[in-house]
Amino acid sequence: MKEFDIISTRANRIDTPDKATGRAVFVDDISRPGMLYGALLQSPHAHAKILSIDTSKAEKLKGVKAVITSKDAGSIKYGVSPARYDETVFAIDKVRYVGDEIAAVAAESLDIALAAVDLIKVEYEILPAVLTIEEAMKDGAPLLHEGSPKNLCAEVHQEFGNVEEGLKNSDIIITTKMKNKRQDGAFIEMQGCIAEFDNLGVLTLTSSTQVPHYVQRTVAMVLGMDIGKVRVIKPYVGAGFGIKASANPMELACCILARKTKKPVKMNYTRDQVFMLARARHQFSHTITTGAKKDGTLMAIKHECWLDGGAYTSFGIATVYYTGSLLGGPYKLDNMSYDGYRVYNNKPACGAQRGHGAVIARAAFEQQLDMIAEKIGMDPLELRIKNMMETGDTTCNDLNMSSFGMSECIEAVRKGSGWDQKKGKMPKGKGIGMACGFFVSGAGYPIYRSDTWHGTVIVKLTEDGGTALVYTASAEIGQGSDTAFAMIAAETLGIPLENVRLASGDTDMGVDLGAYSSRQTLMTGHATKDAAEHAKRQVLEVLAEQLKAPVENMDIRNGFVEFKGAAPDFSELRTRYIKEHRGWIDNPTSEKLSFKEASRIAFLERGSIVGTGKYKPHNLGGKFKGAAVGTSPAYGCSAQVAEVTVDMETGQVTIDKITDAHDCGKAINLTSVEGQMQGSVSMGIGEAMHEEVIFDKQGRVLNHDLAEYKIVTSMDMPKVEAIVVESDEPNGPYGAKEVGEGAIMPTIPAILNAVYDAAGVRLNELPLTPERVYNAIQEYKEKNKIK
Amino acid sequence: MLLPKFEFHEPGSIKEALELKKKWGSTARFLAGGTDLLVHLKKKIITTDHIISLQRIESLARITAHPDFVEIGACATMAAISETPVIQAKFSALKSGVDNIGTHLIRNRATLGGNVCNASPAGDSLPALLIYKALVLLESLDGKREVPIEEFFKGPGKTDMKADEILTGFRLPNPPVHSGAHYIQLGKRKSSEINVVNVASFLEFDPKTKKIIDARIALGSVAATPIRSLKAEALLKGKIAEETSFYEAGEKARFEDCKPIDDFRGSAAYRRAMVGVLTKRTLTTAFKLAGR
Amino acid sequence: MKKIIHLTINELDHEIAVEPNKTLADLLRYDLKLTGTKKGCDTGDCGACTVIMNGDPVNSCLVLAVQTNGSRIETVEGLSTDEGIHPIQKAFVEKGAIQCGYCTPGMIMSTKSLLDKNPNPSEQEIREGISGNLCRCTGYTKIFEAIESLRS
Repeated sequence: MKEFDIISTRANRIDTPDKATGRAVFVDDISRPGMLYGALLQSPHAHAKILSIDTSKAEKLKGVKAVITSKDAGSIKYGVSPARYDETVFAIDKVRYVGDEIAAVAAESLDIALAAVDLIKVEYEILPAVLTIEEAMKDGAPLLHEGSPKNLCAEVHQEFGNVEEGLKNSDIIITTKMKNKRQDGAFIEMQGCIAEFDNLGVLTLTSSTQVPHYVQRTVAMVLGMDIGKVRVIKPYVGAGFGIKASANPMELACCILARKTKKPVKMNYTRDQVFMLARARHQFSHTITTGAKKDGTLMAIKHECWLDGGAYTSFGIATVYYTGSLLGGPYKLDNMSYDGYRVYNNKPACGAQRGHGAVIARAAFEQQLDMIAEKIGMDPLELRIKNMMETGDTTCNDLNMSSFGMSECIEAVRKGSGWDQKKGKMPKGKGIGMACGFFVSGAGYPIYRSDTWHGTVIVKLTEDGGTALVYTASAEIGQGSDTAFAMIAAETLGIPLENVRLASGDTDMGVDLGAYSSRQTLMTGHATKDAAEHAKRQVLEVLAEQLKAPVENMDIRNGFVEFKGAAPDFSELRTRYIKEHRGWIDNPTSEKLSFKEASRIAFLERGSIVGTGKYKPHNLGGKFKGAAVGTSPAYGCSAQVAEVTVDMETGQVTIDKITDAHDCGKAINLTSVEGQMQGSVSMGIGEAMHEEVIFDKQGRVLNHDLAEYKIVTSMDMPKVEAIVVESDEPNGPYGAKEVGEGAIMPTIPAILNAVYDAAGVRLNELPLTPERVYNAIQEYKEKNKIK
Repeated sequence: MLLPKFEFHEPGSIKEALELKKKWGSTARFLAGGTDLLVHLKKKIITTDHIISLQRIESLARITAHPDFVEIGACATMAAISETPVIQAKFSALKSGVDNIGTHLIRNRATLGGNVCNASPAGDSLPALLIYKALVLLESLDGKREVPIEEFFKGPGKTDMKADEILTGFRLPNPPVHSGAHYIQLGKRKSSEINVVNVASFLEFDPKTKKIIDARIALGSVAATPIRSLKAEALLKGKIAEETSFYEAGEKARFEDCKPIDDFRGSAAYRRAMVGVLTKRTLTTAFKLAGR
Repeated sequence: MKKIIHLTINELDHEIAVEPNKTLADLLRYDLKLTGTKKGCDTGDCGACTVIMNGDPVNSCLVLAVQTNGSRIETVEGLSTDEGIHPIQKAFVEKGAIQCGYCTPGMIMSTKSLLDKNPNPSEQEIREGISGNLCRCTGYTKIFEAIESLRS
């Protein structure tokens, strides 16, 4: 008999039939009777004092129901991390970036609302703006926020072991720099929301968010409401990738408009507003020095990074810590230092995006590993295996790898890609490269300091018996979490997947911190398993009483009760069940007692059977400042091999193939795991090859649409061979851990290493536009006197 | 995003369209495929009070093969042009130009007339029209006129078309035997791309002597309009059709014929260098096709 | 001034008075409540609003509703029949070609048009056939697999 009946299969997702037929409801698909439409007034200036705001003309426009400014919204500061709250719903004294919110209008139609926004008159005094780290740090530069001298938003200084000593004992020392470009999430569904108050004063906000829980808290705080009167509902969401992982000013403005007008209000971002809000991946500028012994043993890393933060902190404080804490692994390394700085400037705020903080550091470091390997004449794959951490190892910054199939991943991509046959044997212009990476399976601690459970789940068995209802406040945003939890519930209860119904994304259903830091499968998965076990236990307890058999001799599997040894006579229970259902046509005739009968009997004896589950991680990490960031109950890891063709005349890089192996612990749904791997690779390719948010000198985004901001199309995407490597994670439900973010880690450096293999050039700046690669090739030719 | 309010007109004939245009003057715009016009209206880059849709004028969408030339109606869609046998057989560089415009969805709406009237220096269909010596067919209530395509473009977004005129189509003379043409565009990704550089080349040669009889090269994205690379063309005439000639033509085009600028899509220096590479490559392929 | 248009949507005849500045996407979504057609950019860049108009897939955000007078429109809602969901929809579900699902209706409409015209597309033809439909979740791999599984 196999170990599992439901999990580790390729079950169809429970949400996709509705998505395929157009029935799945996203926020903009919803309308409400009497609904108003909201629109925002946003700053056209990167930095300016607001001298006055005159809303009188807008208010007089026919069809306008409310115009709000900071006078209505107040001055309560919010943000992501309570220690770093630095935003208000509307700008009070000044605006800090092009797009900073100033006012909002609710009107009977969207065109009236937009016309009213145009009628709001704002008098500005333009202030000098700083758009880069260099400008922002200059002596005498204008300051964005009081109390942040030199526009320094955050700095981190850490040392583990003794880096100086480690470098002194190294035979090879390599220092390189690496810089990416500011990213955009480029999810296809733009953010939108609907806010409405009922007659009892309860606010319901329906929003395209990854984190109903944090939005609920932020809304309650900013509107000064009892949190019990704020309900946040997440309908289907057209992805988020981290950008939708905090409350946005539109959601807050929408709630205030709904309060003022006493009507439902709908608001949507346009695509250019999505670019203006930003909150996606920072621009990182790394300088990394790595030391190694002649035999390839890694000795020390000295790491410095500057983050171009934008006008507000958003996730920035977490980002700047993650950038340092997730570098050293997955390799054994005793000495590591990190100096990180995040700098404010007059651009939209950056935040978290898939592979939070760690992607570019990895792109720098994994290239250095190849450089070391080249210097000592070692296969870069062997160098990685030599230094690889193993299950049970702890990094010098106290991250524990409770399961770690990294070496298995390397072997899988070696075989899958034909590495041994290809490395060093490809013709000029073609190349192969590899890299590794790892990522958290959920942040060890919530964003606000609290002992809260990270996830709670309710499993209720229907009173007629037979169906399990799973209620969770977690956030399905496309990754497949609803299906994963339904599968975990079905597996745990021992019933078929089609007998589980699941509802999620509603703060009324419990606490769940949401979809970020690759936390849901492990954390909400645990809570689901816990709740299902609780419900099952109650059913079995009733059965034990009724059948006078020991509870430990019973289990439920595939929808039937299994008894250890001979089954007791359950005919009385069956008769009782059938009597309850006179006239029904589906009376049980099976040899075994069905779950349906058992759960009905349990209801008759005890009332509604409700199982509750909860999860929070055990205490994790060290005691040093910032030790919490990077901790996780488990780490997923992956290895990738990229094969590329470089056009030596034009600099165009074509990615021919990616082979990706990922250790996700136990795969709950194999198809979903592969989907996360392939999706991560495509985002990594986009960042490596095309993506870049570009600003003009006034701080306006130049490429604020999906024509000029270039994500990967079907024409660009190479074949991805996704190899799922399973390990048994002791801290994960059924041994499961993350896949959604770890899989992006190796993509960029694997491509960079392959480009070096193909063309002999090391690129230290992204994206790899044909022009950038061409210039590097020209420089290389000049240096080596090649015509 | 909302479109501004406008009046919508849907004439059934060219004459009716011209009368409407005369009546509403500069407050009216013609709508062909709409893939640029509607975007520009939504983004408030342009405004208009009247839209005159050309969609119901059937003659404008026709593609007709004549013994010596082909006529392409201004409102023929990129997809229709691409699927037309005579275009595939005789005007492969135009096919590859229109195949590179936007996406498969855009190409089902976008029209050749629209692409030409937009007069973007980077327009994908334009270099091919230049090398095939297309004539632009214009009509007003006063009569018809024909303008060689290379005289039609006056600057980014600017053309020779008068306010009271309508562009009805293009006439492309059949290329001679022993000729071939090719088009390459270079962007950052492989679909929905706005070009960094795009080049089309045409080559006619004498199969006996291998000498080049005629050559036309058109460069996109390297000047205010798509341009002919006249010095490179002159260099080629009479030369033997071979790799070194094509390389030299590329270098000529690169250093003497183009006037690129720096913008966020690419630097002038890179554009120049790519003019060289793409000129060489398009000529090489054009020669191969000519020899078939 | 509103104009009266006649069109067929999913084989149902409609007579509708529309403002000239209303796009087909907005007509479908907000007036007819056919919200299966999504909007991801409103400028023809993402393909989420793809519908089939007179046999060809188009961005419905770049078509004026008034232009569809006399047209035949197919949307994702029209694919399912009494026998159940359409084979394309079934393949997308079974191959895991759907994650967030926001690009899916448009992607499926492009696929329908592709397979209607070419029941046996090559890999390159599949890539081209959905090249106007952006997907940020799947990396397209499983979408390719779903379409490949439908080759006749």
